Amino acid sequence: MVDTQPSLATNLGGLLLSAPTLMGSGCYGSGEEYAPFIDLARIGGVVLKSVTRLPRLGNDAPRLVPVASGLLNAIGLQNPGIDSYLANDVAKFADRPCAIVGSVAGFAIEDFGDVTERLAARAEIDAIEINISCPNVAHEGETFACDPKLAERATQAARARTKKPLIVKLSPNVTDIASIARVVEAAGADALAVVNTVRGMSIDVDRQAPKLGNVTGGLSGAAIRPIAVLAVWEVARAVRIPILGQGGIETARDALEFVLAGATAISVGTGNFTDPRAPITIADGIRAYLAARGCASIEEIVGAANPGYLARR
Amino acid sequence: METPCMPALEMSPAVHATVVSDRREPAPGIVIVGVRAPQLAASIRAGQFVMAVPPSGERVSTALGVYEVEGDRVSLMLVVVGPRTRELALLSDGDSLALLGPLGNGFDCDSLGDDVALVAGGVGVAPMLLPARDLVARGARVTLYYGARTARALVDIALFEAVGATVVTATDDGTLGHHGYVTDVLARDGARHSAIAACGPSPMLRSVARVARQLDLRAQLSLEETFACGVGACWGCVVPLDRSSAQAPKFPDAAAGESRDYVHARICKEGPVFWAHELRW
Ligand SMILES: Cc1cc2nc3c(=O)[nH]c(=O)nc-3n(C[C@H](O)[C@H](O)[C@H](O)COP(=O)(O)OP(=O)(O)OC[C@H]3O[C@@H](n4cnc5c(N)ncnc54)[C@H](O)[C@@H]3O)c2cc1C
Ligand SMILES: Cc1cc2nc3c(=O)[nH]c(=O)nc-3n(C[C@H](O)[C@H](O)[C@H](O)COP(=O)(O)O)c2cc1C
Ligand code: FES
Repeated sequence: MVDTQPSLATNLGGLLLSAPTLMGSGCYGSGEEYAPFIDLARIGGVVLKSVTRLPRLGNDAPRLVPVASGLLNAIGLQNPGIDSYLANDVAKFADRPCAIVGSVAGFAIEDFGDVTERLAARAEIDAIEINISCPNVAHEGETFACDPKLAERATQAARARTKKPLIVKLSPNVTDIASIARVVEAAGADALAVVNTVRGMSIDVDRQAPKLGNVTGGLSGAAIRPIAVLAVWEVARAVRIPILGQGGIETARDALEFVLAGATAISVGTGNFTDPRAPITIADGIRAYLAARGCASIEEIVGAANPGYLARR
Repeated sequence: METPCMPALEMSPAVHATVVSDRREPAPGIVIVGVRAPQLAASIRAGQFVMAVPPSGERVSTALGVYEVEGDRVSLMLVVVGPRTRELALLSDGDSLALLGPLGNGFDCDSLGDDVALVAGGVGVAPMLLPARDLVARGARVTLYYGARTARALVDIALFEAVGATVVTATDDGTLGHHGYVTDVLARDGARHSAIAACGPSPMLRSVARVARQLDLRAQLSLEETFACGVGACWGCVVPLDRSSAQAPKFPDAAAGESRDYVHARICKEGPVFWAHELRW
């Protein structure tokens, strides 16, 4: 046993977090929506809903289908566009008692540079995550994160325009995520978010038609957890920059799987739709786990189950 | 048509850790679960809803209307249609159940006039008891047009009569009341009403909207959609709404080619109750 409580503080590529728990982009609004249910001071931070250059109405309904152990979604990046976002929304984020990470999505390489620069220039924003992996909108039929060249150029475009910590969000819908991770690291990312949703669909057998308005969607929640843990494991062996692990994290033990695979911090998305108290029980559970093992800090166990990760540090 | 906006309610939503106090099954596949939830009982308004945290194994919380409220007890009506309602319907006395609420805007009972038609299809009856009670309490005449597949699925008619509503029924199979849709009865007899408030499956609500237009009545519809967060965070539960609606989220004109005269409003946040004539569905 240690005398003092183990520290949950961590450093995600220059983004200092009081707890290793970020709330996943698109799942948590700006934090204010969940403030009635949870003390935001006890989470590490919120990754904001992705914003694009122009306003987007998003996909037609239905946008959500609960499925076995998870959720299919096809929101389609509904957002007011960066102009309106900067004018009307960003100032409100100033009073959040946790880190605020802006999320940028795009349809052209320049979008990642332009929108990142304008958003990162704001003091309310502590770091930028670029969402190059949304499965529900595509760049000429291809997701940036699924093509090493596009992933590299999108990362370079954003890197060139901000000095704030830059997180690049990878897609699990690839054959070799480690090779994409290496390219993105070389292009200047400070951290990697691993992973976005897994492509999927569900069909209404009575109507004999797809259930989602967008036909296809992204699968999240417990259903994708083993896929996500493996992705973190593989990426952790391939790069030196820290990893923000996510995909189906609901409990402290789920979160610890990601940490032990090599994640420095974790995100909770769909887990909030199960129970908004999850981020608190996760942080408390991680702390208890560390205390029971005599660890002073979460940093001591990052990658502990991944020899390939440890060999690279 | 003049369209006052839904009330901006002073909400104090919270997570309520409740305990199941009672359970009854008025018809096969329909279960009413009572819980002790003093703060929720004190703050919930007609037409607001709660998100029920899955008690065992399901992943996404379930949106539920609040049925009865008396003292520190509230009850939920479950119609078992899938895994989540099945799981909740298995709750029994002493079990714990976490509820988030109150959520959503609720009905604007004040702007419904004094001869109100409440229209409910199936489980859409659940959020109708509170407005029935409130409307009667402020002196309005209340008629509940209540439709279901079959007589057995029309539950608790006596409870609605006990709060002072007149109940008109319809069944798809003709086993009770009008043989056919409850909206047929509304179309035939509804002209005398001051306004309509309705909850039920989308096809029924669309037909309520049509009848309301024919009768030149305003209608408030409580919409159904799959929710994930229920608190306005995920934008998963949208309905196309007139840009000019007082409930429309402030949203800039979209890019060329995407510019429309509607916006996507969140049913869980801006709704679930909308004016029928402002919907673009
Ligand atoms: C504001 C609001 C208030 C609500 N209030 C209540 C309430 O008080 N009580 C209540 O019971 N529900 C209520 N609902 C509806 C409830 O939240 C949904 O029905 C929820 O999706 C049920 O989850 P489930 O997992 O049981 O079913 P799901 O699997 O999510 O099923 C959703 C829909 O798909 C259809 N469906 C699913 N499986 C099949 C199948 N095999 N064949 C044919 N159709 C199928 C069902 O008919 C159902 O309508 C409310 C919804 C909203 C938005
Ligand atoms: C409803 C919904 C909306 C999402 N929107 C975004 C988004 O706008 N940008 C983004 O980068 N990821 C988005 N995601 C992906 C999540 O941030 C997260 O990476 C993914 O869901 C896996 O984690 P989880 O299983 O904990 O939800 C969304 C996920 C869901 C379920
Ligand atoms: S269910 Fe998430 S915004 Fe309505």
